[in-house]
Amino acid sequence: MITITRAPPYLTVQDDGRKRSRAAGVPRGGAMDRFALGATNAVVGNALNAAVLEWGLAGGSLRFDADCTFAVGGAIAAITLRDAPVAPFTTTQARAGDEITVHQLESGRFLYIAFHGGIDVPIVLHSRSTYLPGGFGGHEGRVVRHGDVLGIAPPAGRAPDPGFHAPGELTPAYTAAVVHVTRGPQADLFDESAWEAFLASDFRVASASDRTGYRLEGAVIPNSAATLPSEAGCQGAIQVPGEGKPIVLMADAPTVGGYPKIAVVSESDLPLMSQRQPGDSVRFELFTIEQSQRAARRRASDLQTIRSLAESSLRRV
Amino acid sequence: MSALQARPLGDFAVAIVFGAERSPALLGRIHATAAALAAANIPAVEDIVPSYLSIAVFYDCLQRSYADVSAELLAVCERGARAEARTTPGREHVVRTRYDGIDLSDVAARTGLSEEEVIARHSGRPYRVDIIGFVPGFAYLSELDASLALPRRDQPRPRIAAGSVAIAGLQTAVYPLVTPGGWHIIGSTDAVMFDPQRGEPSLLRAGDTVRFERAR
Repeated sequence: MITITRAPPYLTVQDDGRKRSRAAGVPRGGAMDRFALGATNAVVGNALNAAVLEWGLAGGSLRFDADCTFAVGGAIAAITLRDAPVAPFTTTQARAGDEITVHQLESGRFLYIAFHGGIDVPIVLHSRSTYLPGGFGGHEGRVVRHGDVLGIAPPAGRAPDPGFHAPGELTPAYTAAVVHVTRGPQADLFDESAWEAFLASDFRVASASDRTGYRLEGAVIPNSAATLPSEAGCQGAIQVPGEGKPIVLMADAPTVGGYPKIAVVSESDLPLMSQRQPGDSVRFELFTIEQSQRAARRRASDLQTIRSLAESSLRRV
Repeated sequence: MSALQARPLGDFAVAIVFGAERSPALLGRIHATAAALAAANIPAVEDIVPSYLSIAVFYDCLQRSYADVSAELLAVCERGARAEARTTPGREHVVRTRYDGIDLSDVAARTGLSEEEVIARHSGRPYRVDIIGFVPGFAYLSELDASLALPRRDQPRPRIAAGSVAIAGLQTAVYPLVTPGGWHIIGSTDAVMFDPQRGEPSLLRAGDTVRFERAR
């Protein structure tokens, strides 16, 4: 069990989301940064989609009520356990009574904390993720608050030994300036000048951005078709409303919408996009669908490699 | 019948586009084809989302490439469209409704009808579930009697109660959750439109038929 002793303004339980309920209007949801979800789970010996904490906006602390192996990753943050710094994507051991403190988020937006065994909350629609707009999933369908106690499921096996860390070459370059995209379903509705504006500009993430979507400021993208009959969107889809300011749809975006989608962020670079804070800049570069899916498979195989390395470090003991 | 087109919707979905102009006939064909796609149990397919001009099919791109899955989807869609006549129609639902909405008198005033006449026209015909979206379980139902068509409210309300029966344009809907909304609320129902704990969480599916029955 863990107890939240000082909750940040935003704290939820997330896994990799709901993949089979979109026809009922339920977005996939789940962790905004699926790489950090997978990698923090991998280094504690969990399945890659085990439920973790998604932490945002400010610091806070939590207490371990029993010995527990855990890992942090995603946003860069100053974190301590018994006054010693906690490194990202590194297997870390806490003793019963220990407290970890997140002092502040330095860069990035969402910090993930995985616990060996995974957070034990009920499965709703095949997922443990919290869907705040619908008030279900996760811990009672809401943000986790001061004093909340979360159960940790009994682990299936031993955790990797403390100190194991994911090799840097297997983790994404979160601060890369470029985020790759593929052409969206309405790419043809945007003329050459629109594409020029879209690909040549530096955009800034606006303050009006959350798990539903990130608004982008900067170049205005000329758009000849302001609205269309509603159709399905997805996480990473970049829609352009009539006034020409793009919006990147995020995990909790409605399943359907009526703005034309010029492009879609590649799955492999979605963690980079998700971790951009308001004010951070972003530039887009085109991938073909083949390049994009190859990059997604490489990212998935990197996660599997991290998991195998964590397991083999255990066997050497 | 125009040729179907497949386009990537990111790494994990294919949009199959059926046409450029919205029509009840096209939507009927899309619903029938979506049912055929679901029945085909295509490997790696996870979710099928029909809408006015297209069907989005979500799949696991770690198992199958876009080229591979889109070719199979197009083939099944072409067959499914031809077999349209044999597909089972959607289910029929009756939603018992109290016509006690906060906007009922306003709707009557603006349409020049009596409240009784508004109720009679709203409850007097079946509606087709066009699409599901906006929030979980929210079904866009068509087509409303043209004499009841009003634009959305200028000022959306920040909080609409779950179970509110509302109209806007040529559509009607039931709000499944407490949400903001700009439609005109003419009634309420106890029907649970969305329950995440149910086997099928959304009461309505695209292609189903709904009748509103007056509860007193």
